[in-house]
Amino acid sequence: MVEVFPRLLPPLWVTIKVSFISLFLAFFIGLFFGSINSVFSKLNPINLVSRFYVWIVLCTPIIIQIYAAYLLLPKIGIKLDVFWVGVIALTFNSAGYQIEISRASITSIDKGQYEASKTLGMGLFTTMIYIIIPQAIKRMLPATANEASHLIKASAVLSVIALLELHKAAINLQGNSFKFIELLALQAFLYLPIVLGTSYIANFLQKKNDDKSSRIDLVK
Amino acid sequence: MLDIDFMIEILPRVLRASLVTLEISFLSLSFSILLGLAFSMVALTSGKFVNILIRCFVEFTRGVPQLVQISIIYFALPYIGIFFDEFWTGVVALSFIGAGYTIEIFRNAVLNINKGQQEAGKILGFSNYQNLIYILYPQIIKRSLPPITNELINVVKASALLSVISVNELTKIMNDVIFEYFVVIEVLLEATIMYLLIISVLVYISRYFEKKLVI
Repeated sequence: MVEVFPRLLPPLWVTIKVSFISLFLAFFIGLFFGSINSVFSKLNPINLVSRFYVWIVLCTPIIIQIYAAYLLLPKIGIKLDVFWVGVIALTFNSAGYQIEISRASITSIDKGQYEASKTLGMGLFTTMIYIIIPQAIKRMLPATANEASHLIKASAVLSVIALLELHKAAINLQGNSFKFIELLALQAFLYLPIVLGTSYIANFLQKKNDDKSSRIDLVK
Repeated sequence: MLDIDFMIEILPRVLRASLVTLEISFLSLSFSILLGLAFSMVALTSGKFVNILIRCFVEFTRGVPQLVQISIIYFALPYIGIFFDEFWTGVVALSFIGAGYTIEIFRNAVLNINKGQQEAGKILGFSNYQNLIYILYPQIIKRSLPPITNELINVVKASALLSVISVNELTKIMNDVIFEYFVVIEVLLEATIMYLLIISVLVYISRYFEKKLVI
């Protein structure tokens, strides 16, 4: 186990890289469509499309989405490195969740804020950028941290398209050394701290948010 | 553009595979609910040490990717002398993964019930177990239905991962068909539609029961 440990570190870095790049991209996609979703009416064509998209992402397994990205991207003439195919697949998956997260946090913000900024003569765009979204981002953070831990776990599935991340590297080493149980245990112990770490960050942020909101209630 | 005839031609195979997916999902969901009930009962009634053990199990199922857990079960079961075929290995793996979530669901549901109920039960001379079985668990059925629905969706989605240990469920069959005929778009589309159908119908059914079950 000690012997192979250093050989699993570069793949671990690939795992972290692929999940966080996808999280970063999905965060902004989610924020953009989430705010459009929550501001405009339900029958707006962009909203209909994004709701349909969210439905598809939430109701299909991630392995299908990864296969789809892997097999369909070359069909439409986009030939990418397998790493970036992985990033696209995970972003596609995570954006669906992020849209829901940002929509929920933006709609949870008090209506009075919109009215107040209207009174101050702000347009809708300025209101969103300066008033609503900064508050919404704070409320999105716990769920986003949770999403990060989901993504790290989902990145293990990228082994099916032969991206050399932690799980795939361990499979390869298993093939060489036939030490199945040891390598699986090692993998589990490499994944555990990262995934649990991010989900503890999520809990911490959630608690911090809860404390703040209760404090405001007391002042009122 | 789409080859509809081909899609109809492979439909029986896809339907059979979806049946396997459904079978695996229901079996593992029921096992994980049973495990969740049993272990949440143990966690609620016993001391610190057992609780820490159960906590470790829960954190493990949450912190390790499902794919890794599936391969752990796949390799570990024969290692300790238990030989199942792929189907049952898959069921064991998914029940194991699901149990981590259901334990927490039931435990939290019980902890959310007013403490007075437990005290009242104690005064009436109920033991801890009787208290749980006759008073607390009947109340949490309705409360834990929404998270169980969520878990059902998770299980159906996780069953797709069983294709890596070559269980003949929907994703595996999809993969096989793609590499048999080298047709990508139609097969992917059909598999996606099947998953959308399965999950949407299941969600619809359980929402219906949520509304029906008024206690």
